[in-house]
Amino acid sequence: MSNEPAIKIVDHPLWSDDPESPVAEYPEATLLQISADGQITGYSGKVEYGQGIRHGFALAIADELDTPIDSVTVVLADTALVPYDRATVGSASTRTVGLQLRRSAATLRRYLLSLAADYFKSDVRTLSCKAGKVVRAGEAKDEVTFAALLPASQVTLDIPDDIRPKPESEFNAMGTDHPRSDAIARVTGKAMYSQDVFVDEMLHAVVIRPPSYGATLLNVEATRAEQTPGFVRFIREGDFAAIICDSADGAETAAKMVRARWDELDAEVSDFSMPVALKQHANELVSLRSEGNVDAAFDSAASVIEGVYYAPYVANAAMEPSAAVAQWDGDNLTVWCSSRSPFGEREAIAAALDVTETNVRVICTEVGGSFGTRSATISIDAARLARAAGRPVKVAHTRDEEFVWSTVRPAALIEVRSAVDSSGAITAWDYAAYHSGESPFRGRRGADTPYDVPNVSVQVANSVSPLQSGSYRSLGGAVNHFAREVHMDRIASQLGIDPIEFRLNNLSHARLRKTLTNAADVFGWSASKTGSNGIGVAIGYDAGSFLTQAAEVSTAGRDVNVDRVHTSFDCGLVLNPDGVRNQVEGSIVMGMGTALWESVEFDGGRILNPSFSRYRVPRITETPALDVSLIGDPNTPSTGAGEPAIVTVAAAIANAVTSATGRQIDTLPITPQL
Amino acid sequence: MNLNINGTSRTLETDPERTLLSVLRNDLHLTGTKYGCGEGNCGACTVLIDGESVRACVTPVGTVAEREIITVEGLANGDKLHPVQEAFIEHTAFQCGYCTPGFIIETTALLARNPHPTGDQTRAALSGHICRCGAYARIIDAAATAAGRTGETS
Repeated sequence: MSNEPAIKIVDHPLWSDDPESPVAEYPEATLLQISADGQITGYSGKVEYGQGIRHGFALAIADELDTPIDSVTVVLADTALVPYDRATVGSASTRTVGLQLRRSAATLRRYLLSLAADYFKSDVRTLSCKAGKVVRAGEAKDEVTFAALLPASQVTLDIPDDIRPKPESEFNAMGTDHPRSDAIARVTGKAMYSQDVFVDEMLHAVVIRPPSYGATLLNVEATRAEQTPGFVRFIREGDFAAIICDSADGAETAAKMVRARWDELDAEVSDFSMPVALKQHANELVSLRSEGNVDAAFDSAASVIEGVYYAPYVANAAMEPSAAVAQWDGDNLTVWCSSRSPFGEREAIAAALDVTETNVRVICTEVGGSFGTRSATISIDAARLARAAGRPVKVAHTRDEEFVWSTVRPAALIEVRSAVDSSGAITAWDYAAYHSGESPFRGRRGADTPYDVPNVSVQVANSVSPLQSGSYRSLGGAVNHFAREVHMDRIASQLGIDPIEFRLNNLSHARLRKTLTNAADVFGWSASKTGSNGIGVAIGYDAGSFLTQAAEVSTAGRDVNVDRVHTSFDCGLVLNPDGVRNQVEGSIVMGMGTALWESVEFDGGRILNPSFSRYRVPRITETPALDVSLIGDPNTPSTGAGEPAIVTVAAAIANAVTSATGRQIDTLPITPQL
Repeated sequence: MNLNINGTSRTLETDPERTLLSVLRNDLHLTGTKYGCGEGNCGACTVLIDGESVRACVTPVGTVAEREIITVEGLANGDKLHPVQEAFIEHTAFQCGYCTPGFIIETTALLARNPHPTGDQTRAALSGHICRCGAYARIIDAAATAAGRTGETS
């Protein structure tokens, strides 16, 4: 038996937010193939960083072909093998590439059935796929394996326009729970992360880090470091300096002996002054939505309720610190790394080292978490150091480096002004958000209001960022939702209306209403405020999905215990329910940290708490009881699942803390204020 | 020095002050034991030393010579996974899996000294481990399932 491809399904790469439009500027590539031995392989440029997308794709392909999941392999994130992909971002994998892979598998299924029709000399309507075989129904019952049907010479197929993936009613594997196909590697220590890559002759490098962002290297001296056993090279190029040794421990020791003097930027902003600085140094507000006459509505309003909200920088702090290994072979370079974007990484490396992009192969290994960040420069550092040393080089972040040199979620100051009439209807909504970072659009996700308001202004601006801000689960989505949903409770409280009733009075969006009424029912909202406990609710939307979360907390001084969180989640058709639940649960735990404790402390460009002993993240002792209802309509297309469930967490917890303590919460994290 | 790792005796010459974690990973390429923080705060590097859980990132290798070291690679018996490993699969008690070896080793140590822990005892025993993906609720369930199985077989 050969593993040469017998049939290949090809298409242009598809990575945009529009699942119907492949990106024609990139050439067709193999998405799916069946080899002569019957093994099926899917290819995607997505990266596996914990979200379970390898398993999700395998499950979808296996189901479309009615073949066992262990006959399907999914190859991810190797630029030499997979179609172009922009990056694994925006909770888009299932709804874009996942749909394309399902259509690829449906194409293969149709073709295998046509081959079987010839083989059996039967009408194709009597044939179906089952357990990796084509089965003939009726009196002349018979079956043939996929492998026995394959053509002698290779066939390449495009996806026909009329190919649609299976409807939910025909699912046999999707829609139910299965062990993750990559589980054994994860529980036995065999899963290979970037930190785990070792190649022959490999050296280890440590980059000499500046004490703060934007610092320039005045002088550097490595005489003592060069005496370290195993020392290989010291390299300085401008502000970049690194030490290379033949062992990881040697490089660490030698790097500590390097003496460097840096010229740091003036430290004007700290975590204390950041809320003020955000507005003071903001660029012009950009309008995302402007409807009705906001000024006139405020002039004639029965009451006007205002709030100012603040969320600090928070760290992604993925468990695996970023690492990269670079190996040159003549002009060809291979880099193993923990990036979320193999092709983006390839482009950046090629540009930085002035080499041809096609000479660079980037392989993203298993990635130990991301949530939005990864070092942007570590692959480039490894590649340039490997070129200088003439041997493969590994660069691996310490925890401290990961905190400081990966990006943080933008801090944001958000001003909300609202007008309500005597019936409790919101008549005007004026929202202005100042998010740190280089682009105003970083902050637009989740900034719009889903409530029914006739006069609306939604604006965002970007502002000063002393730290390197970047993506984080839902980006600005969680912060914008915090401001809006806490403000909704503030209005409800002033009007003396129950928070859920107030939301329903101002909400006609059918899918959001359904999540809210379901959550109220399942959580037991009306009977849950029993004494000194607190309950809070928030609704949200992100990546095409809709949800409501309700939280119950108990408090004692500065201790807040989140006792339980219910989530009613609508992400349309669910292919992998356990995968969705796992993402929702993880989002709640992560969001709970941002609600209660997390804040990157800094002075100028210096991060002051870059360790798990000084940056508090949720622990297992703090895990709430988690309950998830998946209530999407299976006839609605699948939408995002990795990020949406974090957008509502901080607001639901903040509202619950207000319910318990009577303290208005407008700043994150909550516990230092209690 | 002589190290007894996963039932195999290995002799190596190295500085006894080096961390056990570095020796496991860099010298022996036993990469299932992970680097997470380097200061004993996250639990990703946890191994068993004479049956007790220890943070390899803050353990000088010289202190564990001649003692029985078990890493995540040494838990399964051939293709037969350890009950704790099976339970983690059954509950998909992970996402990225980077912290998983540490949690599995810690759960194994817990069940060895307390075969039927309460939920609170399980949480307390695992409180030194961080799972940034937030699979904690599943890990608690997996520990309970494994406790049931370990009880049945003992």
